[in-house]
Amino acid sequence: MEPESSLVPSLDELRALARAQGVEPTDADLEGVLGFLRTVLPSLRELEEATQRDVPPAGMYLPDPEAT
Amino acid sequence: MTLVALAAAIERGDLSPREAVEDALDRIERRDAAYNSFITVRAEEALAEADALPAKTGPLHGVPIGVKDVIDVAGTLTTAASKVLADNVATADATVVMRLRRAGAVIVGKLNTHEFAWGASTTSEAFGPARNPWDTERICGGSSGGSGAAVAAGLVPGALGTDTAGSVRIPAALCGVTGIRPTTGRVPNRGVIPVSWTYDTVGPLARTAEDCALLLDVIAGPDPTDPSTTPSMAEPCLDGIERGVDGLRVGVVSHLLDDVPLDPRVGTAVEEAIGELASLGATVERVDARFLRRAEVVQQLVMLPEAAEAHLPWLRTRLADYGADVRARLLAGLLLPSSAPVTGQRARRALAHEARPLFERYDVLAAPEMPIVAPRIGEDPVEVGGERIAYRLSLIPFNSPWSCLGVPTVSVPCGLVGGLPVGLALTGRRLGEATVLRVAHAFQQATDWHERRPPDAV
Repeated sequence: MEPESSLVPSLDELRALARAQGVEPTDADLEGVLGFLRTVLPSLRELEEATQRDVPPAGMYLPDPEAT
Repeated sequence: MTLVALAAAIERGDLSPREAVEDALDRIERRDAAYNSFITVRAEEALAEADALPAKTGPLHGVPIGVKDVIDVAGTLTTAASKVLADNVATADATVVMRLRRAGAVIVGKLNTHEFAWGASTTSEAFGPARNPWDTERICGGSSGGSGAAVAAGLVPGALGTDTAGSVRIPAALCGVTGIRPTTGRVPNRGVIPVSWTYDTVGPLARTAEDCALLLDVIAGPDPTDPSTTPSMAEPCLDGIERGVDGLRVGVVSHLLDDVPLDPRVGTAVEEAIGELASLGATVERVDARFLRRAEVVQQLVMLPEAAEAHLPWLRTRLADYGADVRARLLAGLLLPSSAPVTGQRARRALAHEARPLFERYDVLAAPEMPIVAPRIGEDPVEVGGERIAYRLSLIPFNSPWSCLGVPTVSVPCGLVGGLPVGLALTGRRLGEATVLRVAHAFQQATDWHERRPPDAV
């Protein structure tokens, strides 16, 4: 597992990513996003490693019509 | 009076559609200043529509209904309780509104919501908080908080909400009414402002499971103009609702009673309600389903980017007009790695596969709908079983699994703690609304929690 610091982008990287999509958040907005990412990115990485990559994602509108 | 009873009274000619609508409008005018449950009241339009009803329409003939203010009603504001849409007048009815009208219902107004239906407190910065009729210093839950409050206060006999991550079930629980999140895809979303395409569904809130069954039968079913609906035909809900629970198998989701933060008084009320189902003839077993906790992060990975995509044009031009909490979630969705929604959907499929034996073994799964009763407005974090937790995080374990699986869940009132309502969540198989409502109805035939009313209800 990579250290958390290598998973989370910097404030400037987030700002550039937002600007590239035409959105201009404030520094306070981006600090909030960073806090969220610090929590969720390790979980995302764990899920990436735990999930078989040859399994297709669930359908667009239903998780799996046959499963439940 | 319940929705079913009101519809029967109108059918018998005990009162006219106009009288039923006038009564509702009078209650709203006299009482809603205390609850702020409505954003827009369609007084003149509703009376004109009641007068214009043909002699016989359908099962909701003349019944006044409120709809959450993310659902379009032609010619009426759809604000989503946001500055962003403060002047947005809908040009057409949502499919669910068309179906309500075809069944004879009269839409009396648009109900308060958490901004853009994305949050569980209904405390819009732009339109003010909806207030819980059981204690107006407390939240109604959300995001369909206005729907929960209006039904609990007796302003309308039924309402539509929407549910992405608990937004029908949570206000139903905190306001002491019945509400069902249907199977994802069973009810058309056309004309409803999206949160998350793969999670959103419209659902009814009313006093009883029988009321919800009637409303759901009216609004459910495929819509050829809406690719989000499933073509599968499901069993109607009202027919057969009296069949009871004898012989049904109920699985009690044990980790939601034992392993996550929960007010023990809420847990006791839910355990007693489950005991009641056993006494009515259901076979009750505790089941270990801790794997469902993965849904908590899976839902975030999918829902946030989907919402950010849906809002992207407004994020570019109206970012400052969003409330702080919704803006933060939308930006988080915008800035998640692109792998997040794909990984989330892949994990979601795996979760559904893993849950399959649960739904093969049990007809219904039972759990608390919420870990706490309604917090005070602005109270966050909240105390849950001796721990201080962010309100939003406290409720996710109880709601995300069923949203993630896309299966139906009904919340029914099952107790009072400190004078505030507690909800029992009953979850069924995909397209199994008839079964969960049948169990909820049996419970309500044997108990009177759904008949308890807030102090000043009309």
